[in-house]
Amino acid sequence: MINFTLNGKAVSTEAPGDTPLLWVVRDYFKLKGSKFGCGMGLCGACTMHLDGQAIRTCITPVAAIEGKSVTTIEGVSPKGAYNSIQQAWIDHSVPQCGYCQSGQIMSATALLARNPNPTDAEIDQAMQGNICRCGTYPRIKAAIKKAVSDNGSNGSSGSEVAYYTPSNQLEGGNNA
Amino acid sequence: MNEALTTRRQFLQMVGVTGGGLVVSVALPACAAPGLNFDHGAGTYFHNALIQIAPDSRIHFYNPRSEMGQGVYNGMTTLIAEELSTDPDKIEVHFAPVHEAYQSPESGMQSTGGSTSMRVFYTPMRQAAANAREALLQAAAEQLGVAKDSLTLDNGKVIAESGSYPFGDFTALAGQRPIPENAPLKPAAQFKYIGKETSRIDAPAKVDGSAMFGLDADFPGLKKAVLQRCPVAGGKVKSFDGDAVKAMPGVLAVVDIETGVAVVGEHYWQTRQAAEKLNIEWDLPELADLSTDKYFTQLRQQLTEDKGGKAHREGEGAKGLENASEVVKAEYSAPFLAHATMEPMNCTIKIDGDKADVWTSTQIPQVVQGLVARHAGLDAENVNVHSSFLGGGFGRRLYSDYVVEATKIAVASGFPIQLIWSREEDTRNDVYRPGSVARFEASVNDDGLIDTFFVKRAGANAFPAIIDSALPTLMPLGLAEWVGNRVEGVVAGFELDTTSTEGLYEDYDAPNKEARHVTVDSGLSVGFWRSVGHSFSGFFKESFIDELAHHAGVDPYEFRMNNSKKDKRFAEVIKLAATKGNWGNPRHAGATQGIAAHTSFYSRVAEVAEVSVENGNIKVHRITCAVDCGLAVNPDIVKAQMESSIIYGLTATLYGKIDIEAGQVRQSNFHDYPMLRMQEAPEIEVHIVPSQEAPTGVGEPGLPPVAAAVANAVYKATGKRLRELPLSLA
Ligand code: FES
Ligand code: FES
Repeated sequence: MINFTLNGKAVSTEAPGDTPLLWVVRDYFKLKGSKFGCGMGLCGACTMHLDGQAIRTCITPVAAIEGKSVTTIEGVSPKGAYNSIQQAWIDHSVPQCGYCQSGQIMSATALLARNPNPTDAEIDQAMQGNICRCGTYPRIKAAIKKAVSDNGSNGSSGSEVAYYTPSNQLEGGNNA
Repeated sequence: MNEALTTRRQFLQMVGVTGGGLVVSVALPACAAPGLNFDHGAGTYFHNALIQIAPDSRIHFYNPRSEMGQGVYNGMTTLIAEELSTDPDKIEVHFAPVHEAYQSPESGMQSTGGSTSMRVFYTPMRQAAANAREALLQAAAEQLGVAKDSLTLDNGKVIAESGSYPFGDFTALAGQRPIPENAPLKPAAQFKYIGKETSRIDAPAKVDGSAMFGLDADFPGLKKAVLQRCPVAGGKVKSFDGDAVKAMPGVLAVVDIETGVAVVGEHYWQTRQAAEKLNIEWDLPELADLSTDKYFTQLRQQLTEDKGGKAHREGEGAKGLENASEVVKAEYSAPFLAHATMEPMNCTIKIDGDKADVWTSTQIPQVVQGLVARHAGLDAENVNVHSSFLGGGFGRRLYSDYVVEATKIAVASGFPIQLIWSREEDTRNDVYRPGSVARFEASVNDDGLIDTFFVKRAGANAFPAIIDSALPTLMPLGLAEWVGNRVEGVVAGFELDTTSTEGLYEDYDAPNKEARHVTVDSGLSVGFWRSVGHSFSGFFKESFIDELAHHAGVDPYEFRMNNSKKDKRFAEVIKLAATKGNWGNPRHAGATQGIAAHTSFYSRVAEVAEVSVENGNIKVHRITCAVDCGLAVNPDIVKAQMESSIIYGLTATLYGKIDIEAGQVRQSNFHDYPMLRMQEAPEIEVHIVPSQEAPTGVGEPGLPPVAAAVANAVYKATGKRLRELPLSLA
């Protein structure tokens, strides 16, 4: 039995200790927002936060997170609201197929939490582990900068991201 | 070789695949489609299979096209929104089930590919929505007792002098009246959504993890499956160690499906680990002799020895070279490529008595339905295909090999299963972009105009694989039986595939032109890869045009302009890219520029690359892109697709290569089949030619010019002409 915190809730799992955290979250806890892309820590699709740090969960055995706190894409903002990073993603129409975007947002969120005002080179550095086969990199970069300026203008730091109520939320139709 | 070649169009007509033929008809099937009046409450106005307006005023749209990133979810909805004068994000979009009513009026298929959606659906989709608007207005006029002309629609409401009424007030009456036809379409001057840069309506679901992809399908009782295949495609199972694996924790079944052995288990990880212990021995197929090195040698040899089949000829054809004082010759090659969609192939299937449910990311749900029916022994109408968002397509998901595998595993094991491919399996079991070699010979007159343009390409054909995959589900039943027993052979005699030579010769003026093709099948499975034949022909042709320009001592931009007088729209994008890209005056200090242009999927695209070479490494700083795709339904999505195609194309320009040795694909995951990453992505600037012409392709046409634009800039920088992809100065 492995105990940890998942999106703020204490949980435990019977999954074998060598099971990658990604599959524990997807298969046992049924949170499907984190994706499988490579299984080798090469693409970032599976990125979650472990005590605030972005990690590749396809190569993180669940045994290694005993007692720690895990945040997934489902946990970065309250349901039906978006944090400033997600909102910037929407404003810039970043996602194409969308498959890599949970991982991109988790990496970007971790970056802004530790470095609220990153340079271009720092953005590249933090995001280079996340592949986007649809080539949304230019928009991701623009969206990160937008989130930085939004965070700056409302006075909050990257770690206290501002919440927005969605004006154009999809209801029902998206998961048909 | 046979000079009288069957084109794919003729072939399709021959087997009846196209239905009405490849003519854009303006009508979508208007039939009241039984079973498609989805339950949105009593009093719903069931306009047709696409549009249904509920008494709560919600507009439900059943989108017949697969959303794989290209923006069709937004684009199709925009067309409906425009005619219903309602914001696109107020329309509830559903993924359509498989039904005749959702087939493309052009191809007669329910599939998404070939950059066709806006081109084919632009008018029919608007017509369908305009008719729905008319129905609402007629019902409102009758119910309110006013003249129809006094009413308008605004964002889900009917506006009358007496006030505004939600659509839902009139759906019941509309449902009792005949469905209007040929209602007038909105004039372009009144467009509120078409042609505007609205933000994507699928973005919110894609930033909070709630968008569902095929891999996210789940339900109580679902088991996971992992399939071990022969390292050489087509190999058959000889023996394996099933008993030990069956005893492993979490394993429920081990089944032999001939092309591999599958392990079914409770959880993916355990199942994957168990599958690795199967110790399978294989009967190796003929393909075990294949090596790409040998294959490319063979292509070059056959280019020399074989005359090839005629793909195109005008004027004197290649004979024109006989009078030339000088002939410029060059040979180019491009490797096999995997698609590498971010979401690896997967399929979830549940068979229950005489019914089946399938969840999978697919570009071709109609064929998925047919294949499941066939391999599970069910009637197609009892197979329910649940579509979802696709984690990338790029042509890969037009093939349904993973669906057949999943069906066989579900049948053999008796469990509802989700088959998940690893990245390694995905890279090694693709339907690859065919490796190709082409030779050009051309002459240029003293005025710098091309006189004769001759090209011959050798390689496999990309088209037959789709027929192999689709035919069993499309042909009449008796024939399907027959085809099913020999699917691989049915198109063996297939001669001219237009995708093999498309883009090699069309774009520039020349009084004498000829294109020929030598089909050399490697036995490896090949098919459509983003922009298909254009993915290599754009590089070949645009590099060679650059060679001709340098040879003639003319600036490559001027040379292109001088030799494209016939297609004004083509010349226009070249000019726009050169102007906006500061041709002759790179913005990036120390960089050199290259230009390339290409027409594909009826769209013209030109790109200027700014590149520098440092220690033998090619660094791409900036791409300026100009596109004429007719009317841009959503200019921001057009831009996004250009960015996307450029970056996808740059991966192929700088890295992409699948090698085969002893029949086995050597690459496996992103370390040895690398993708462009953020720090390598150039700045991209996209300029759209303002146009009221009919919309043309957007998802692919940005790709073909990019490799040549970069290679031409590298030539400028180094004097080295790189004629092979991926580009390498080593
Ligand atoms: S799936 Fe974990 S990094 Fe690719
Ligand atoms: S949006 Fe498709 S992989 Fe990134």
